[in-house]
Amino acid sequence: MDYDYLKQKRILLVDDEQELLDMVVSILNEDGFQNIKTAKTVSEAVTVSESYQPEFAILDVMLPDGNGFDLMERLKKTADYPMLFLTARGENDDKFRGFGLGADDYMVKPFLPKELLCRVNAILRRSYKSENPLVKLHNSEIDFERAEIIKNGEHISLTAKEHDILAALYRNAGRIVTIDALCEAAWGDNPFGYENSLMAHICRIREKIEANPSQPVSLITIKGLGYKLVMEGK
Amino acid sequence: MKSLPKLIRRFVSIMILSSVLLIILNFALLVIYTLNLVPNGSPWITAQEVADNLVQNANGYILDKNTALELQNMNVWAIFIDNGTMKVVWQTDNLPRTIPMSYTVSDIASLTRGYIDRYPTFTGEAENGIVVLGYPKNSFWKHMWPSWDYNFIANLPKTFLSVLAINVALIFIIYVAANSRLLKSVKPIVNGIQALSTNEEVHIREKGLLSELAANINKTSDILQTQSRQLRKRETARANWIAGVSHDIRTPLSMVMGYAGQLESDMQLSKSNRQKAAVIVRQSKRMRNLINDLNLASKLEYNMQPINPERQNLIAVIRQVVVDFINMNIDEKYTIEWETDETLTFCIANIDKDLIGRAVSNLIQNSMNHNGQGCHIFVRVIAKDTVCTVVVADNGVGATDKQIEKLNNTPHYMVCDEKATEQRHGLGLLIVKQIIFAHGGKMLIKHSEYNGFEVNLILPMVM
Repeated sequence: MDYDYLKQKRILLVDDEQELLDMVVSILNEDGFQNIKTAKTVSEAVTVSESYQPEFAILDVMLPDGNGFDLMERLKKTADYPMLFLTARGENDDKFRGFGLGADDYMVKPFLPKELLCRVNAILRRSYKSENPLVKLHNSEIDFERAEIIKNGEHISLTAKEHDILAALYRNAGRIVTIDALCEAAWGDNPFGYENSLMAHICRIREKIEANPSQPVSLITIKGLGYKLVMEGK
Repeated sequence: MKSLPKLIRRFVSIMILSSVLLIILNFALLVIYTLNLVPNGSPWITAQEVADNLVQNANGYILDKNTALELQNMNVWAIFIDNGTMKVVWQTDNLPRTIPMSYTVSDIASLTRGYIDRYPTFTGEAENGIVVLGYPKNSFWKHMWPSWDYNFIANLPKTFLSVLAINVALIFIIYVAANSRLLKSVKPIVNGIQALSTNEEVHIREKGLLSELAANINKTSDILQTQSRQLRKRETARANWIAGVSHDIRTPLSMVMGYAGQLESDMQLSKSNRQKAAVIVRQSKRMRNLINDLNLASKLEYNMQPINPERQNLIAVIRQVVVDFINMNIDEKYTIEWETDETLTFCIANIDKDLIGRAVSNLIQNSMNHNGQGCHIFVRVIAKDTVCTVVVADNGVGATDKQIEKLNNTPHYMVCDEKATEQRHGLGLLIVKQIIFAHGGKMLIKHSEYNGFEVNLILPMVM
């Protein structure tokens, strides 16, 4: 799927350290993001947000005239767009508070550029889906909005559970998703004892998406651990 | 406070036992003493012997020499009163003058029961009269009216036992009454000492028999509380200091890592310069891990890390850790294999899943850090009896017996009260140990079956 349209999103970056702002801007620029504005204080961030109408924000927690949690609450009141905390505060309580306020992710400094970019891109992909919602696999396409598979021109419906399982796999495409995480995605918070049902659903999904379900190329089993969705060209 | 009633019971039983033993002992002594007093039978028997040995001949009555000698030795006088005349017809030489020589029937009845002129007298029946023995004055005390009510004698055993029981009960009541005050003042003291052992604050009323002891316990409690507060303050300050330093270092380290990361992938730089940047990235990562470890280790050590145990499927938690490592695309030199039996789908334990995940991550990372040439890492969860065991093993360089013994038994330098001249091992294993201990589990380090290193984390299972 083509994600170039995400690089055009307006990003607001808030941190009290100018050098860190410069570095994050350069990391984002290198990855293709062009529309970035920075702010060093809460008040500056509010002003920039009003005029710039950002579509994504990266916030520090400790700021000279307040904290990032309050800033997020203020920003969310005017417009609801995805936000990520990038802070030196790594306590669980801080993380829970951030997620509780509606943050899309919480990163603790120090961080690697790759790590930051992965998270930013993942949030933007989740938040701003392209007009063409088709996910291309080796032998088929998934249309999540219509909950169907398109294979050889034929439209095959997905059941609710199959949709949930595929969505969980797609959110982590190219990565292993554990049996437990998939059961949780399909059956909720107490997913004990659904392993066999999951296997049955995986078989049915393979029949729908694979050319040869007995030799899968898109939905791979990682023995004992979980499953991996392999996208076309990856 | 379980020991106090036990103590009282013990005291009471000792008291009752000693009372009974004392009574038995007294009886035994009385019997032995009484038997010693009458080694040759009673004076009544002697009197009868004299009567039997008194022989009548032509000249009158004669007592055989042996009996006469025996009476003389005992300083006993004897007379024989004739049935017909009621007069003394025979006497020993030592008969006191004050003894009458003739008797009436009432005199006979009186002397049989009691005394003649304060001499205790005993009678023996002879053929034609009666022999009377007179023992020295004050040598015997005689019952003058030796008769009791029949029922009194018939009920004597019952009466004796009742009296005994009443006596024991009385002793018990007196004991309890006398000691209840002491026990009353001992109870708060015992409670106080027990509270001291759990480091609770103690304040006992300084009244009663043991007020001095109570005052000392209160004083000890105050000292302990002050010391505990000071220690806590110092520990908190130390943990906060570590947390502060690790926080302040994060932002500058972000810039080192960030720019080094960019330079590492900058294709305009020469290969050697990119390699230099890669070294900076690698070392920055080590610093980041060290900061995180140091912070967590100090918080766990000073009980400042909140632990939120919940019922969790340990297999799911460990599986996620393994998958996270695989998803990170770690160096191809390191491969991770999930060895858990496929039929084992859940193993429930009360755990803080973030902390347990962190512990297992540390072990996997540890295998990588110590095997630069690469290794195969095996992770499995085993459920047996009442414990879940997480095994992280590798086929790497392993450790010597001495090193393993040291890792299992020597405290880490961070929690060691001796002066540490050598760094014993990294913080990774210390954190694992602290996390497992905080969950009431055990950590065991050993050689792996693959000729490498192995760590077992043993956690209690929830049934």
